[in-house]
Amino acid sequence: MKLNRFTIVALLLVMLITGTTSPSVAQDTLPRNETLYFNGQQWGSVVGWNPYSNSNNNAMAIAQQDNARVLMFETPYLYNMLDGQVYPLLADGPYTWNDSRTELTFSINPAAHWSDDTPVTAEDVAYTWATHVKYNTPTAAANVDYIADIVATDPQTVVIQAKLNDAGVTVNPLLVQAYVSTNYVVQKAWTQVLEERVGGDATALLADPAEDVVASGPYYKFFADDSKVVLIRDDNYWGQDASMWGKLPAPKYLAHTIFKDNAAGTTALQAGEVDISQQFNSNVQSFWLENGLPISTYLPEAPYGIGASLPTAFFNLNSYGLDNAVVRRAIAIAVDYPTIIANAMTNQSATFDQVPRSLMNPTAGEQALYDHDAVAELQWAGNDIETANAILDEAGIVDSDGDGWRELDGQKLTYIATCPNGWSDWQAAIEVVAAAGKEIGIDITTNFPEWSVYQTVVTKSDAPLPEGYDIFMMWSDGAGPTQPWSRIRKMLSSEFNGMTSNWNGNWGGYSNPAADELIQAIPQETDPAALKEMYTELVRIYLTDIPSFTLMYRPQSFHTVNESVWTNFPFDGDGTNPPVPPLDLMDGWSVAGLYNLVLVNP
Amino acid sequence: MKHIIGQVFRSGKFLVGFVMFMAIVLTVVIYPLFIKDEPLDIVSRGTFLPPGIYVNVYDSIEFSPRYTLILDEAAARRIASKLSHEDRLAMQEWLVAMGVPPNKIDIEDTANLLELWENTFDPTARIPGMTNADRNYYIRLNSALDGLLATEGATVAAVNSETGVLEEKDVIDQTDYVNVGEVPNIRLLPLGTDNFGRDVLTELVKATGVSLTIGFVAGIIATSIGLVFGLLSGYLGGFVDDLIGFLNNLFTVIPPLMLAILIAFSIGQDQRGAYTVAVVIGVTSWPWTSRAVRAQVISLRNRDHVNLSKLSGHSIAYILLTDILPYIASYVVMALILQISQGILTEAGLSILGLGPRTTDVPTLGLMMSWAMIYQAPIMGIWWAYFPVIVVIAVISFSMNLMNTGLDRVFNPALRE
Repeated sequence: MKLNRFTIVALLLVMLITGTTSPSVAQDTLPRNETLYFNGQQWGSVVGWNPYSNSNNNAMAIAQQDNARVLMFETPYLYNMLDGQVYPLLADGPYTWNDSRTELTFSINPAAHWSDDTPVTAEDVAYTWATHVKYNTPTAAANVDYIADIVATDPQTVVIQAKLNDAGVTVNPLLVQAYVSTNYVVQKAWTQVLEERVGGDATALLADPAEDVVASGPYYKFFADDSKVVLIRDDNYWGQDASMWGKLPAPKYLAHTIFKDNAAGTTALQAGEVDISQQFNSNVQSFWLENGLPISTYLPEAPYGIGASLPTAFFNLNSYGLDNAVVRRAIAIAVDYPTIIANAMTNQSATFDQVPRSLMNPTAGEQALYDHDAVAELQWAGNDIETANAILDEAGIVDSDGDGWRELDGQKLTYIATCPNGWSDWQAAIEVVAAAGKEIGIDITTNFPEWSVYQTVVTKSDAPLPEGYDIFMMWSDGAGPTQPWSRIRKMLSSEFNGMTSNWNGNWGGYSNPAADELIQAIPQETDPAALKEMYTELVRIYLTDIPSFTLMYRPQSFHTVNESVWTNFPFDGDGTNPPVPPLDLMDGWSVAGLYNLVLVNP
Repeated sequence: MKHIIGQVFRSGKFLVGFVMFMAIVLTVVIYPLFIKDEPLDIVSRGTFLPPGIYVNVYDSIEFSPRYTLILDEAAARRIASKLSHEDRLAMQEWLVAMGVPPNKIDIEDTANLLELWENTFDPTARIPGMTNADRNYYIRLNSALDGLLATEGATVAAVNSETGVLEEKDVIDQTDYVNVGEVPNIRLLPLGTDNFGRDVLTELVKATGVSLTIGFVAGIIATSIGLVFGLLSGYLGGFVDDLIGFLNNLFTVIPPLMLAILIAFSIGQDQRGAYTVAVVIGVTSWPWTSRAVRAQVISLRNRDHVNLSKLSGHSIAYILLTDILPYIASYVVMALILQISQGILTEAGLSILGLGPRTTDVPTLGLMMSWAMIYQAPIMGIWWAYFPVIVVIAVISFSMNLMNTGLDRVFNPALRE
């Protein structure tokens, strides 16, 4: 008996000792004033660090997107959503097209080197592309129709050969030039190690966690488990060369605690345990107005951030009556958008009075791309019950049987408006859409299926949408080097109709040859005046046909900062040139903000 | 019967519980007779308006008789509402940072302070160590201070619809008042608005009614199933008892809430109306009633009067209804009360998990809680969106439990005084 008890005590002691010396405890003691804490990016634990795969669930390190996340891996160029320009990162100077616009050339900054101190070369860029193609990665699938090959003509010079159509013209110059600010450069030597490890198997290559990956960025992986992810600064980072940033970023560690839910993240932000938050915090102004916390957003007043994407309600054009443009217009102009923006978005969106609806996001660059006066009378700010009723009456769509609801050719107009369950701001918005129906005699009820069901139904574009999906919400593209063209394509192009799995857009099944033609032609066009005309025409088509209607503007990322420890985060008018966009100091040009941070109490 | 009811109402606990419960039921019934607003109407643009009386500003300027009141403290109060002691300290900090000698600043002397401020404040100044949040605060403070010491009135102007020119319409003096009773549009929002901009009180009353209905339906279903199963299994015994016992065990080992979650999830949101949820709750929470009834029936089935009834050739149904049920009726009523209370709590539980009734048809207490949680009302300190709901849920289940204990005192011989 005694021996037993002794054994238990001994075991407990052993557990205690190993417990206290395990690495996880060591990570809990990151020095606060050397660490920048995030929330709202990483949910669940990290799967891997593999830049070829898009299933790493590793939001801090890997996001190859319009504003690529460049903390650990780097792209040749950085996109700046505020001025629409790209700036060199791994590249040296701007890229150039040849005269026929079939080849894009740029050179690699001679100062750039990998975390293992070997130089970044043009061969790395070429080999990265070759690997994508060879193993048919998601990046290859997205670009292979536009890029023929990427070659290194010498150790510093990269040439991207565009894919040409039958007429010998580049299929899509926009998407070719977007490649350089969207996709990481991966080290050739490490890629070869990886290929050897997986024995040339594509599935294994994508599934490899890449714990030994070599990167070029200012931070490298330090620690990750189910409680937090930490990146540590590479003090040997090439970017401290005078040709790039000239110094190291301020925080030594970037840490993201993995919170259970939004509420936990918000509590941490309030407590100053999070410095920079990518969460939607409803009524964000109450942090400083009511609670007096040192929290601020990019803009001091509503809408608090820069709108970039256009969450939109799509009409199912196969639903009875919704093939009629008058019905679509009546519903769209009757909706009370100010209430959606005030209640669902708690004013974190510009209103349609401030930024009249088009296909453009509220950034100045995109707004300048169409002729506002030419489409002014087609635009609507909502809540126009009177006109909605009038155009329905005029079209003969009236309540003929006295039940309070209008009929079209004897059949009552009744629709279901929907969005995924639990997407609270969208649900609140859809509620307001349904309320508009009651005002104009069209019976709209709401329904919120689970996301797992919703996404399968909505993205299946090879068959008509089933009952219950008459009006449904989806997103649109945000800000990026191919915008607004890519967003417009995804809102209007009929090329997606008939796709078995359509994650692009135009989920309502709209088809208009005139729009398709313009969408085809824009990437080839270089004359700004012609472009403006084409974009204006597309806006005119969109606002006339109304295959979908935007409900609000939404920022690319939410960007709320707590200045208890760090300060000098980007804000509107902060004097940075080029301006640092509010993308949480990690996406595209916003990474420049990491070099400006200072401690509140040094 | 009269005697029993009299006895029941002599129990203090029952009476208190009954009064509380009836107060809630009466509110649910009477409130809509007077306040005819639709409970799900969105009344506010902007979420979580705090409780209070909302007076239409336009009406109070344009459409209400104006009175002059000379009140001594008016100006001081006006200044204090815009310029707190903390604000004065913050202003001092700024002024010192901008190089104003500290001995020149008297933060209690409002006129002097404001003058210094106006001469010194520069929104573009970057003071070392000042955060953007501070900078924003000073800019807000600066605009709040604008015209704080003015003694002249404010001019109201409107655009002439014909000429498009701004024309002066009215001057409002600082001593002008309106009588709230004479303003055409005022709206009392005793509990403010919620995340959708709905009137919380009106919604709460409606939600209480719906939740009570769900509780009743669920309670009656659960008690009926439990009662029938308990009577049959207790009286018949043998194979029927084994079968029902088996079913009962099945339901007992899986917690009822777990079962309700699984069923509610598989039904899907589009099919989940309030009554569907009530049925789901009802069919998952009968086992304990069934067990208790069975135990009581077993103790009754060999009594003399039951045996006599059997010998007289009465049918099983007749015996169960006339010879057994009356003896356990009091117990069944108490069980029903607990089941109703449990049903209301279960609905709240399901709704908080997002498995309650569809959001748009009707409000329920659980849905109100759920939305308050989704919009983070508890962390943002928006008490009116969730606390009244908790109070109502608590009062309902407390009153029902009180009634139950009161009944127990009357009917349970072991407890009878």
